Amino acid sequence: MPVTVNKLSFTYSAKTPYERKALNNINLQINEGDFLGIIGHTGSGKSTFIQHLNGLIKPQEGEIQIFDVKLTPDKRPKVNLRALRSQVGMVFQYPEYQLFADTVEKDVAFGPKNLGLSADEVSNRVRQAIEMVGLDYEAVKDRAPFELSGGQKRRVAIAGIIAMRPKMLILDEPTAGLDPFGKEQILNLIKYLKTHCSPTIVVISHDIDEITRFANRIVVFNDSRIVYDEPMQQLFKHSIQLQAMGLDIPRAVKIANALRDRGIDLGEDIVTAEDLMRAIAQRYNEKHSTQIDKEACVFDMYDFTHKWLTSEERAALEGKPVEPVEEEQPSGKLKHGKRKTQHVKKIKKSKRGKE
Amino acid sequence: MAISLENVSYSYNVNDAYRVDALKNLSLHIEEGTFVALVGHNGSGKSTLAKLLNGLLLPTCGDVKIFGNSTLDVDKIYEIRKSVGMVFQNPDNQMIASIVEDDVAFGPENLGIERSEIERRVEWALSKVGMLEHRKSTPFKMSGGQKQRLAIAGVLAILPKILVLDESTAMLDPKGRSEVLKVAHELNKQEGITVVHITHFMEEALNADRLIVLDAGRIAFDDTPAEVFKHYDELKAIKLAVPWETQLAISLKKVGIDVGDVVVKDEELIDRLCQLL
Repeated sequence: MPVTVNKLSFTYSAKTPYERKALNNINLQINEGDFLGIIGHTGSGKSTFIQHLNGLIKPQEGEIQIFDVKLTPDKRPKVNLRALRSQVGMVFQYPEYQLFADTVEKDVAFGPKNLGLSADEVSNRVRQAIEMVGLDYEAVKDRAPFELSGGQKRRVAIAGIIAMRPKMLILDEPTAGLDPFGKEQILNLIKYLKTHCSPTIVVISHDIDEITRFANRIVVFNDSRIVYDEPMQQLFKHSIQLQAMGLDIPRAVKIANALRDRGIDLGEDIVTAEDLMRAIAQRYNEKHSTQIDKEACVFDMYDFTHKWLTSEERAALEGKPVEPVEEEQPSGKLKHGKRKTQHVKKIKKSKRGKE
Repeated sequence: MAISLENVSYSYNVNDAYRVDALKNLSLHIEEGTFVALVGHNGSGKSTLAKLLNGLLLPTCGDVKIFGNSTLDVDKIYEIRKSVGMVFQNPDNQMIASIVEDDVAFGPENLGIERSEIERRVEWALSKVGMLEHRKSTPFKMSGGQKQRLAIAGVLAILPKILVLDESTAMLDPKGRSEVLKVAHELNKQEGITVVHITHFMEEALNADRLIVLDAGRIAFDDTPAEVFKHYDELKAIKLAVPWETQLAISLKKVGIDVGDVVVKDEELIDRLCQLL
């Protein structure tokens, strides 16, 4: 079990007039392989919560077990934060604002260097991380990060995190501020990283239609508590309560609910656009005696893999396949996983200003 | 004409190897009182265009005119900046005072306006964005949507005729986004302010009078939103999408369920589905 949170509470500015409870008796288990979505409106406590998960905030009450590290309010024993942060990678909102080095290579190398790895291992990981996020290592390594486009910068920032090979990856609003195509690239990257780098992923997002496309489980924060923790398909039975909390529900659910109010019941388990389309097709078939194939119902809003993309762009979207190569294991206690293959994306030389 | 651009080009780093042609020979006319949505992929030139509108950038070629005054005219630049108010993306970067009403007063104070008039304007601006009850509180503890509405109030206090929102909703949650969008539409309807709303959220363009799509420094589409969204395939080719409801209608049509040509609103879609099902 990667994460077990037990009775966690946290108060900002305690014992002052500005006292504000941000977390109130949080209990949560995150399982290996979870693709967990966290939703909740601004100020509901979700950011405070994820900052606990890699030791940026020390628990005030309760405790957190993350892999082999235990976080408690106690001063002793001292927590090995370095070990924790090498296992839990955190990608903040607008991570590109945190780029600081004068070349992409140095920026990505900062994390692994601070893990105390050998120079060879560092450069090995840097190359892999840059290639994993879909950038051409040779083309970008000596460039200043600030010369790259918005989407590319964000990928460099993510490379800096995955170069530490975290077992769990936490992303806060990873697609904010990107155009639809840039969003799609980042979402595909996250899916790729789930299979090839960090098997457990936690994503915070305000865009519920985005979350429902990949999460298998959703946790809802409201007013410093966890109010729902459900498999994705189950959550929207509570749509009335969610909307009362000021949260969006998926558009497909909204439409299904509106149709139900007008006497057309398409069934309970509609969450995504494709669910909705299939339910509509079935009902349409029954009423009009047509034979519309449910499998043909494809919602291709996010399908950018059209012929007009350059091969480079398509490769970046699809996450190119992989040549198996034996890989050196990092030394010491930072070792993890049974990684046997190296995942290399070969993408044609990417000139600047790709977007 | 509120805004007119004649053959405007703009290039960054004109004289070195990293030259980027952000806008290429672009001509555009926007009439007073229009609500314009401006979309385009990252790097398409949207923000460059916004910065040209009040002379933060000056065109490399061509001419930008605001109510007939060219931004190249040094004597007119302050007048232009008074008539074009800009609100940017990050709500945290646009506050300068620790009390809401001081923040809104900053603009008119710098124009040397009389105290009683400043008070009147601050009250008016804050009530326009629905923040009057917060006039004595501090901006730093507010939500993103509140901060952006405050930033709009700060701009309103200099009585602009044009409001440019440069991705002002990008960093907000859905509630904050709809608050800001509502304020922008009200200012457009009630005060007749010309609004240029730059965004990545295609559904925010639905209620605009006019939707302009930029691609690689050129205008790809310029029409009503309903007309532009008919070109969904071409929009995808320039890395954009259509609103979700429109896409649903398109995808249903592909399998033989015709819910109408270009559905842009929830209600239309639901009405149509009710008839069919």
